[in-house]
Order: sequence, then C-alpha cells, then structure tokens
Amino acid sequence: MSHAPVMPVEAPAVLEWPEAVKAEVAEAISHYPVKRSAVLPLLWIAQRTWGWLPPAAMQLVARTLELNEPEVFGVATFYTMFNLQPVGRHHLQVCMTLSCSLMGADRLFKHLEHKLGIGHGETTADGRFTLRRVECLAACGGGPCMQVGLDYYEDLDETKVDAILEKLK
Amino acid sequence: MSMVKVTIDGRTIEVPAGTLITDAAKMAEVHVPIFCSHSKLPPLGACRICVVEVGTPKMGPDRKPVLGPDGSPEIAWMPKVQTGCTTPVTDGMHVKTASATATQARKGVMEFLLVNHPLDCPVCDEGGECQLQDLAFAFGQDFSRMEQAKRTFDSEDLGPIVKKEANRCIVCMRCVRYCDQVMGEDALTAHQRGAHTEISSFNRQPLDCEQCGNCIEVCPVGALTALPYRFKARPWDLRQHITLCPHCSNGCSVRLGVRGMEVLRARGTENRGVNQEFLCVRGRFGHDFVNSADRLSAPLVKQGGSLQPVTWDEASAQAASRLRDIAAAHGPGAIAFLGGEQLFTEEQYLMQKLARAVLGTNHVDGRTRTVARVPGDAVLRATGGGRPPLTFTDLVNAQEVLVLFDDLQGESPYAQALAIRGQHQTGLHLTVAHPRRVKLARPKFKGDWLGVQPGAELALVHALTKAALDLGAPSDLPGEISWGLEALTKSLASWTSERMTRETGLSADAIVAAAKRLRGAERKAVLFGRAVTEHPQAAALLQAIENLGWLTGALTSSASRVMYAGTHSNSQGALDNGLTPDFLPGYVPVTDAAGREAFGKSWGCTLDGEAGMSAPEILEATAAGRIKALWIVGDQWLRTAPDAALAARALAAAELVIVNDLFMTETARAAHVVFPVASFAEKDGTSVNCERRAQKATRALSPKRGSRADWEVFQFVAQVLGADWRYRTTEDVFREMARLVPVWHGMSWASLLPNGATWSATRVAGSLGYAEPDAKPAGEGMWLLSGGTLFAVDGVGERCSSLARLAKHARVFVSPAEASRLGAAAGDMLELEGPAGVVVLPVEIDDSVPPSAVFVPYAYAGAGVNRLGAPKGAGLRVKARKAAAAAKAGA
Amino acid sequence: MSRGLLLFKDIDTPGLTGIETYRKLGGYESLAGTLGHKTPDECIEIVKSSGLRGRGGAGFPTGLKWSFVPKNSPKPKYIVCNADESEPGTFKDRELMVLNPHLLVEGMILSGYAIGANAGYIYFRGEFAYVQAIVDKAIAEARAAGLLGDNVFGSGFPFELYTHLGAGAYICGEETALLSSLEGYRGQPRLKPPFPAVEGLYACPTVVNNVETIMNVPHILKNGGQWYKQWGTEKSCGTKVLSVSGPVKRPGNYEIPLGLPLRTLIESPEYCGGMRDGLKVKGVIPGGSSVPVIPASQIDAGLDYESMNAVGTFLGSGGVIVIDDQTCMVDALWNLIRFYRHESCGKCTPCREGTYWMGEILERLEKGEGREGDVDLLLDVANNIFGKSFCALGDAAAMPVQGMLKHFREEFEYHVKHKRCMVNRRRQAVMEVTA
Ligand SMILES: Cc1cc2nc3c(=O)[nH]c(=O)nc-3n(C[C@H](O)[C@H](O)[C@H](O)COP(=O)(O)O)c2cc1C
Ligand code: SF4
Ligand code: FES
Repeated sequence: MSHAPVMPVEAPAVLEWPEAVKAEVAEAISHYPVKRSAVLPLLWIAQRTWGWLPPAAMQLVARTLELNEPEVFGVATFYTMFNLQPVGRHHLQVCMTLSCSLMGADRLFKHLEHKLGIGHGETTADGRFTLRRVECLAACGGGPCMQVGLDYYEDLDETKVDAILEKLK
Repeated sequence: MSMVKVTIDGRTIEVPAGTLITDAAKMAEVHVPIFCSHSKLPPLGACRICVVEVGTPKMGPDRKPVLGPDGSPEIAWMPKVQTGCTTPVTDGMHVKTASATATQARKGVMEFLLVNHPLDCPVCDEGGECQLQDLAFAFGQDFSRMEQAKRTFDSEDLGPIVKKEANRCIVCMRCVRYCDQVMGEDALTAHQRGAHTEISSFNRQPLDCEQCGNCIEVCPVGALTALPYRFKARPWDLRQHITLCPHCSNGCSVRLGVRGMEVLRARGTENRGVNQEFLCVRGRFGHDFVNSADRLSAPLVKQGGSLQPVTWDEASAQAASRLRDIAAAHGPGAIAFLGGEQLFTEEQYLMQKLARAVLGTNHVDGRTRTVARVPGDAVLRATGGGRPPLTFTDLVNAQEVLVLFDDLQGESPYAQALAIRGQHQTGLHLTVAHPRRVKLARPKFKGDWLGVQPGAELALVHALTKAALDLGAPSDLPGEISWGLEALTKSLASWTSERMTRETGLSADAIVAAAKRLRGAERKAVLFGRAVTEHPQAAALLQAIENLGWLTGALTSSASRVMYAGTHSNSQGALDNGLTPDFLPGYVPVTDAAGREAFGKSWGCTLDGEAGMSAPEILEATAAGRIKALWIVGDQWLRTAPDAALAARALAAAELVIVNDLFMTETARAAHVVFPVASFAEKDGTSVNCERRAQKATRALSPKRGSRADWEVFQFVAQVLGADWRYRTTEDVFREMARLVPVWHGMSWASLLPNGATWSATRVAGSLGYAEPDAKPAGEGMWLLSGGTLFAVDGVGERCSSLARLAKHARVFVSPAEASRLGAAAGDMLELEGPAGVVVLPVEIDDSVPPSAVFVPYAYAGAGVNRLGAPKGAGLRVKARKAAAAAKAGA
Repeated sequence: MSRGLLLFKDIDTPGLTGIETYRKLGGYESLAGTLGHKTPDECIEIVKSSGLRGRGGAGFPTGLKWSFVPKNSPKPKYIVCNADESEPGTFKDRELMVLNPHLLVEGMILSGYAIGANAGYIYFRGEFAYVQAIVDKAIAEARAAGLLGDNVFGSGFPFELYTHLGAGAYICGEETALLSSLEGYRGQPRLKPPFPAVEGLYACPTVVNNVETIMNVPHILKNGGQWYKQWGTEKSCGTKVLSVSGPVKRPGNYEIPLGLPLRTLIESPEYCGGMRDGLKVKGVIPGGSSVPVIPASQIDAGLDYESMNAVGTFLGSGGVIVIDDQTCMVDALWNLIRFYRHESCGKCTPCREGTYWMGEILERLEKGEGREGDVDLLLDVANNIFGKSFCALGDAAAMPVQGMLKHFREEFEYHVKHKRCMVNRRRQAVMEVTA
C-alpha cells in the first residue's frame, strides 16, 4: 500500500473506483451483513485513492453502498482523519495531548512551524508537508510523538524530527 | 395491556406499562419540558432538558418491597438524574420533577443551551412560538454567566424553502431524524461534531428533498425557518385557522396563518387532524395561490368572442337561460356536468342535484381523467363495499403493505410518510408494484419492488390473485363472494408460472412470495389510486383488485384493508355523493326505481332512470355534437384530460361551456360563462379523505372579492331555473344529505368534530369477476409512463411561488441506458411522437425509469403529455428521438 | 528478560507475531483444549471464577457481562473487541497487539465461543492502520491454519473474524458509539438500556471487550480461574498493564499484579525508576486522563480498583500520567479540556456546550485573563455536566476539573490573582524556540 497521496488539481464531478481497488471494495463490503457498515472502509479506500475526499468520492461511496449522500457526508465529517481538503504528500500529525505536552510537544510543534514556515492545518507551497496538531495518538509513553501517514515516530526532539523531514521527500 | 402505578410529584396515576416518564407526566398533568423528544420519533435522550429524579421501590432479599415505618414502600432513589423522555415507568416508580436536584439539573441544561445561543429573538421568525424562549422564561436566568465569544456559524439557504440559522440550533436532531425516519428523505445530516455540529445538506448543496418543510415544523427553535415566510409576520399578528389541505386525498389538517385577507403560511398542528403536525411540501407551501392577484374577481360572459365581466345576476341568468334553451331544444340529455372531485361534499351533492333534479340529466361525472367507463361503485367494491375502512392508524401498524401502481410520493405523501415510519419503527414490510422504481421501492426501505412491465398491471393483479388462490381461499368469505369462487378459479387456471412471467416480466417466485406475504400477514394494507382508476382497463383492474382483496384476506366480511387514494381531495366524496352517471348519492343506482323515487320525492321531481354517460363518453358525444352544453367544475382540465385533442374538439363543438374556476385557465378561456369561485380556505364544508373519513373544514377568510363558493353558484343558477333552493349555509345542505343520503344517515357537522368520522353505513354487494388483459399494443416505440408527481403543476400549483420553484419545468425522464441509446444527454431535447401528436421535452436522466420507457409527469404548462393521445387497452407507446439541435437552442 | 507476569511474559520473543513461534510457546493450546472439551457455559463460569474485570476502563466483571447474553435468542451474536485505545495516557493495547497479535485472535475465538458468537470484529482507532495490518496478517495465518472459518479446529464451531478501522474519534471507544461507528453511522453513543449484550451490533446480542481483557481469556481458560487469582487482591484479581507516561525515567507499559502501590510503579528501578531531570511528582492521573488526579501525597495507594476509589479516583484504563512539580496545573487542565472539547460527539447538551464553556474559561485563566469567580464558575460548570450527560464522556470531562480543583485549587486562584502561572516548565520551553 502506498500512502503518499497525490494532490489532484481539480476533482472531477463524477468518480468511479479505479480497477485496481475494485476487489478491495468488494472484499470490504463482504465483511459485513449490512452494506452500510462498509462506509468507513470505503471512505478509507477513497482517501487512499485520491489523497483526500472530494465530494464526488463521497457520492461514489454513497452510490456503492446504496446510501443517501448526506448520510455519507455526515459520517465523513464526524471523524477527524478524513481530509475534506487536499493535503500535502506527507501529513505530519503531532500529538499535543497532556503526556506528550509534558514531554515537550508544544516546543516541537513550534519548531516545526518555524522550520516549515506553516501553521496548523497548512500545507507547504511545494505540496510536500501538511502540519497538524492532533489529539492523543496512544503513544504517550513515547511522547512527544507524531504520525506521518501510517508511521509512528516517538521520543522525538528537534534533531530527530529534522532528520525525519530530511528523509521524507 | 398491563397497567402500572407511578407517582409523579406526589400524584399517583395508572398508566400502561412501558409509558415514558414524560408521557406519564402529561397524563398526571405535570409539566416536564422536552426538546429532542418527539411523538413520531423514537426516544433520543440527547437534549437532557427533561431530567427528573427517579426512584423505585427498594427490594428486600425476599424480592418483596421493603416497607418503611409508615407502611409504604421505601424508595431507592437513583444517584443520577434520569431523562424522562427515555425512561419507561415501572410499577411503583416515584418521580420528582421539581425537587432541588431536578430543578438544578434542568437549570444547568437550560444554561448550557443558551451558552452559544444568539440573543436575536427580536428578529427571529420563531419568536413568540419558540420552545426555547418559553423555557428560558421559565427556567433561565436573567443574565448570562458565559462571557466569552459565542461560536458562530454562517447562515445558509438550503434551497428555495429552508433558511438555516445554525447559531440558533440546539442540536436536538429532530429535523434530521424526522427527515430520515418519517419522510424517508435523508436530505439533512449533521456535519462535524461536538460544539461544531451543524445541520446541513450534502456538502451544503440545496436540499435534495421532495418533501421540504417538515424539518422546519419540527424545529423547536428558530434554526430552520421558511424562506417564503421569512420576516413576513410575527406569530401573534396572525389569525390561526385550522382547515383541510386541498391538495390530495389524504385530507391533512392545515393551520393557516392569516393576516388581513392574506394567507401567510400553513403549518401542521400536533394533536390535530389525521396528520398531526406532518404536512407535505404541497400542504405547507401550496397556499399562496389564494392570495394571487390573478384570481378572477367577476363573472365573465362571452360577448362577441371575448369574455367580459358582468354581474352575478347577469351571469346566472345567462347560464340558466341558455341551459334551459338547450334542454328545450335537444332534451336534458344534451347537458353534461364534469369535474367537482375537489369540491366539498355539500357542493358535490348540489352539483349533481342541479343536474339531475333541476335539469334532468344523468350525465354527471367527477372523474375527468378516466379514459374508459368505470362503474360508479367499482371503487367502493374494491375497497370492501362499505365495510369499515382501512385507517391511517391501521396503515402505520400494518405488517405488510402492498402499493399498487401509484407513486405515493406524489399521490399520497402522508400515507407514504406513515409507511416509512412503520418501516423504520415497527418493521412494516413494503411491496411496491410499479413500473418505475419509485421512492418507496428504493433499497433504503428494505421492501420488495415488483417492477412490473408497463401495461401489465392487470396481468400482475391476476397473477397475485392466482398465487393467493393457490394457497387456498380464506374460509370466511361472504356468500356472494364464495359463489363466484369456482368461476374465478377456472378463469385464473391459465395463469401458470410461465404466463405470470411472460406477461408481467417478473419472476413467478417474486409474485408468489408477495401474495404469500400479504395473505400471511395478520395486519395488512393494500393501497391503490389514480394509476388504477385512470388506467385504460380501469373497470377490469378494479374488479381484479376486488378479487385480490377477497382472496388475500385484505377484504373480509367484517372489515376492509384496502385503501383508495383518489386523484383529488374529495374524490371519495364525489363517488359517495353521486358525481357518477350511474349512481345517485349514497350508491343508490339510478336504475333503482324505489331509490329514485325516494330522492325524487324530496327533491320535487321525477328522476331519469337511465344511467348517464361517463366522462370519456361525454367528451366523445360533445365532440360529435350530441351533447351541446358542458359545465366544467375546477380542474385544469385541458391540461390533464387524457386526450387533449378530444377535449379541445369537445370544447370547440359545444354550444355552451360553463366553467367554475379561480383563474383564467386554458379551459376557462374556452368558456361562454365563467364563474369565479372561492378557494378551499374561503368556504365551509366537509371532505372525505382516503380513509373514507369525512372531516369538516372551516373557512379561514372570506372569499376573495367578487368570488363565491361553488355551492352558491349552483344555487344561483338553480334558483333562476325555478328551483326552490334555500340553503343559507353548507350546513343546511349537509342536514339534507344526512336525511336523504344513506351514507350520511344520522350524521351532523357536530358529530364530525374534532377528527371527523369514517362511514360504513352502506353496503354494496361485492362480486368476483374476470376479464382478460388487453393485448399489448404491438409495434416498436417506448412505453409512455405518466402520472402525478409531487409538484403536478395545475392552475393552483403554478401560482404557489415555492412549489413552482421546486417543480422546475416539464421534462421527460429516461434511464441512463435509454438515454445513451438515444444519444441524448441530460438537458438535450427529446421528441416524442404519439398517435395524436408530438411533444418536445428536455431530458432528465433517471435510473428509476425502466428500459424501453419514458416517464413524463402530468400537467406541466405547455408540455401536455396528453397531446400525445390517450392510452388505450394496455397502454400507450410513443416514438422517441433526439430532437434537432435547433430545438435545444430554442428551449 | 521478561517484561511482565502474563501478557508481557514472552512478548519480546523474536518472531512472536508469526503463528509458528506463537504456537511453539503454547499458543492456541487453550483453543484446542476448549473447543470440544468445555461447553460455552463452562467457559463463562471459568471466566467468572477468575474475577477478571474489564480492562477498558469501567472494570465490569467480564464473566458476568458474558452471562447477560440471551441464550436462546434466534438472532446471531457478535463479539467485538475494543481496540480503540483512545483514552489519553493509555497505550497498552497497541503494544500488546503489535507484539502478540495471535493472542488477540485466540482470545476472540474463545470469547466468541463462550458467548455463542460466530463472528467477531476488532475495532481499531483510525491511527492504528498499521496495527490493523499486523492483526490482519495474524488472522490470515490463523485462517490458513484452520483456526478460523466454518469449522474451527475441526470442532464444528464456525467463527469468522474481521477488523474494522475507525477514523479519528475518541468517542468511538465508548462501546455503543463504537457499535454505531461499526454499523456505518456517525460514531455517537446509543441509549442504554438495551445494553449491547441484549441489543448491540445490528440490534443483535453483542459483547464488547477491551483488547487486554480478551487477551487474558486464553490464559484463564487454559489454567483455570483460581490460577489467575494468584495475582492481585481479593476483589481486583490478576494482572493489569499500566501505561506510564510523563517525565519519569522509564515511561512505558508495565504489567503488574493488581494492588501494587503506585509509588512502587513510579519509583522502583524495576519499573519507571523515578522522575527524570530532578523533577518531583506533583500529582498523578492514574487511570487515563478521564479520572481525577491525586496529589503526590496519595501515591502510596495500591493500584487496584478498590484502593483507587478509596483515594477518590479510578484505576480506569491504567494510563498513568505523572505530572511533575514544574508543571502548571491550569495549563495541564486546559490541555485536557481541549481534548474533551475536541472529542465531544455533540449529541447531548451538557457535554457539547459544557466542554466548550470550560474550554473558554480555562483559556482565559491560562492567558491571565481570568476573573474573580472564574474558579467557582469552572467547578459549577463541571458539576452541571457531571451525571447529566448522555454517556460517560461528559463525566470524563468533568472529573479532571473536579479532581484538579479539589487538590490544586490554589494554583487556579493564583492564576486569577497574579495573571500568571506559579510554575510552567512547558511554556518556558516553547518560548525558547521563539527566541
Ligand atoms: C468516552 C469513553 C471512551 C472509551 N474508550 C475506550 C477505549 O478506548 N478502549 C476501551 O477498551 N474501552 C473504552 N471505553 C470503555 C468502553 O465503553 C467499554 O466499557 C469497554 O470497551 C468494555 O470492555 P471491557 O469490559 O473489556 O473493559 C470508553 C468509554 C468511554 C465512556
Ligand atoms: S456526553 Fe454527550 S456529547 Fe459528550 S460524547 Fe457523550 S453523548 Fe456525546
Ligand atoms: S498524549 Fe500524546 S500520544 Fe497520548
């Protein structure tokens, strides 16, 4: 699975599942006795496919699962991990909750802001990084920590984080 | 049902087990406020305003209540307050609603509700009837401890009807839940979460909802308000009148808000009418035609080729003298009356009395859209011959509901809402037979869709009946039915599985399963409406539905579970009151000498004993010059008559055309005398809905200057013709009806209050019968499907600004596959060629339309699907092709 | 070297995520010994007798919960594993699953067997996509080995196991919200009763258990209830994984016998080894961020359900957050309330509006804009939420406030009076970056 999203210039009005994910879509639906249950899995597949969730992707999910569009929209916006706007290639999600904060998360975040020249929720001009404060990642013993795509990085400090950014092209 | 004792604030009452504390409190006359709770929705328990203290008897080790020193059971109070709207009472429960703890908790919740609520009551449409305002008055504080900035949202217009002010929203979710669980629309949803929760549509698009407006009704605050009413009035400036909605046969009560001579809004009312607070979009926004500046304000008489205003006396005299001349010259049989299904019962009665008793003609038919003669009692027989009818309560509680060929979304919105609510809340199962995958047949409602081939309606009913018959006939059939069983069995023998499939296009298994479900369900309902009565084979279809009813147990000797939802608000009344050529009021056959004599005696005349012509026959006869005078009551007739060309020829050929109408419609333009009549809101009377419930409507304002109620028009003309009619009010008419007409025997207006009464006093003998379906029209071409939609734009509809906006324009709906076969994209023009003419319409792609068919809704101005010709036999086929590019540019 | 008593005993064995290594260490023996040898009712009795209590936070006796599942309901039944691990300060389930996924799979099959379920779902928080991949691999291995499917172990018992990924919502750790989310709705809690055991997933009888709870099941069924009681106290039986975070020398997961004094966990070299950088303990939140804080003076209390209650807090999920003496409690509380404000699902009024309001008050206190009466107001708002919200998230947001104001009120008053913190190590560190 590649998780580096591509930022589309403009989302088309109507989307279809690419051939490559059709089997995965069918597999996800088959896990539940009720189609509707597959809404999160399908939103995930859509987000992986298009890098974010353009409205047309939510419509596609609704169509696939025979749901009404507003329901899917309500679900997608309830959760924080669905990107309703395009994001950068690397989505830096820095935990700011108490344990991490006690261990220096705020300082680390400030450092990232300075270094990347962007604030919370913003994307660098080159589309490489999006920076976001998030709540507890369940890695409190390794605070401060951040998640980039699927990967967890723990026990961070300025030097470590700089090295990580270096590696993320 | 077992009863339990509960003590609320010291008052002990007995209530059915399972009653929620809030409802029990109401019975004990203790006020517990609610916001998110709603009588038509399952408990949610989200707003927390209804918190109370709850205790139950302490149980000893012997599982018996522990008694206190005074001998009464000791109460174990729960440590936390509980929501009254979600907690069912149990025996011996004690509830405190006003203790310090409960009051403190409620005040806390009230304060929370106001934390982010704006202080804009002075400019809020809900002000004065806002539950939050009222409660803040009762429980709130006069200052706010919340000093920081409130979180704010932008206000937005969700389409042409709904204005959303999210800052006022208290997230009770009533709108979203009602939209989903009662309306089945799901147009609304909550976005985001926590303090950012906001009610909106998909991606903030205009609401994709055909039943717009109920969300506004159920909103307890001013978060959702109606754009058409925005800033128009304060509630305390309005006179509120409860009357009946004129738009369909469901017969909902509407509360009109009137200021001066203007109707400003319509709302439902909880605890009133069949509909409680439900109103469909037509009921809610279909009232401003009453205020229209286009309303006719004087009678008109054609002079020198143009219609000129005259006085009422002149117009009545003109109408009367010309009717008299024609009757003298050609006999009373040269006069015919059409329409009147939307009139009040009393008016219908006078209309046919004028025809029969004063003029002497039996050519009276309310059913202007029928294409073939249908016996006047066929509908009554199909619905049980007068046995106690299926009510809406029966419908919502049914286990199995079969909908035959109507799209309830447009034809019976309230019945549809009940079916949806039943489906959601009590597991009602739907079987929808319709060539299109109409809303109720969508997967969301988990029913079975019998997507019958167009033209195979009769075949499907026969097939279902055969499948039911194969299960064995019910044992308790009345005599006249069981006698016919043998013949029917023989007639149906040819309906093998192969034939079922061949003729309907459905798998025999699906048909058999549907019949089994209906037969097996203890509580069931069968619904049909104009798709049946306006079918070319209506008479055979109605007979077939009667067969089906008896054989599935939907009809029994003691009750009927079959409902007819007619075309108009009082279609049922028209049948009951003799607006049929073959029956006098109360289903007394015209051919019945004794019955005729009874009426004749009271009416002071001798009645003609030969049945008159039905609406389609009247048209043919008029076009052929045999009928010379037509009196057409209401209805945008030229636009909706099954065959526009025939209707036009008839109008042109007639020597005299009299029209009662509110507006200068196409039909009125062709008239010689036009009577401007009062709207539904401007007169009193009764109307019979599809439950066969007679309900009383009370006028909300006086008739628009220059217009009169239809009954007065009939009386004027009757008087000029020498009849001794002296009705001062419609109630006088009703009294006469109650005396003379069997179905109304013993009723009075007072007996109809508050919620009307269903009649079942008269019995018409049932029968079984069989007719072969007509052969399907051969040749190519696509099936023409037509029918009402929610926004059928008649003369009335097009003068309701919000409805007109929602209705958009005339279109032809085709499936994606057909569209691509025709090479047409959405918006392209499609040319349809029928036997009688051609229409050109823009395409809308719609996957609910079956292959080889096009769907064109009725009644759009300029689009008259009826110009293609009337369907014959099994239906109508048209040729469809993409129109030349020029047509598109010109569109 | 072993890191724990039971769940953590062999957890660092290389290759444990593979089925072969897992089996070599006795994995799936419990399954083999149970299917076809013990009836479901016997299984429930054994778990009851072990005294195992739910490790997700509420500490409800697991065997008792299982026994609520109606025996003769015609509906299918479900076992759902709560792998949402969303309570701040808690990170035990993640490590357990990453290092020993087969134990979860075995536990799920056994739990499903005990309650009569033929299908199970594991609900992960959205951030755990990589953990899901690890567990999915274990499931695939188990399926290939005939441990899942129509006929588990040839015993005739059919069982399927699926994983499901959330997408960022703390509330989905609450069991009914989790079920809403799993069904494809917005993850909002549902009315109880009916409890999930009677009407849960798809309105069918459902048991929801935490990862750690489920992982105890194979051990208990294999060795018996009495055996499990070798650890812990009379009422808090067995072992518990505690996740320790904050400025201790060695933060991380420690599996302890229930009842171990909190001080031992923090100070003993066997565990966290004391505070780092010369800091001292000021207060400890012992059971995940939702439980009231206790001051340093009370850390001799034992880490078990009863002892924690005795000092006015809860063992909760076992997320021990150690707060040092250089941290400002106003700042710490503002941090936590921000979390609850962010995570309130918005369904009920007290939580939705109350967390927002508490956030406003704390923000102005922290910024030095606090006013006379703000501290009382804050407590009042918390009290108006507590016990009035729809689900326990409201209580979870109120309890930190109540706890902080009970033990550290003077720091809040100080903020109002002096418009600044008594101490604030974190703030200083941030300022240095700017400089
Ligand atoms: C707001 C809230 C969040 C919760 N989060 C979790 C969680 O992340 N993981 C968990 O196992 N239980 C969580 N719970 C507890 C669950 O509701 C439930 O009690 C638990 O999953 C039951 O499993 P157990 O009996 O094995 O502990 C949470 C409860 C609440 C009220
Ligand atoms: S307490 Fe209320 S708003 Fe908060 S999470 Fe629970 S239901 Fe949602
Ligand atoms: S507080 Fe940061 S991962 Fe938990």
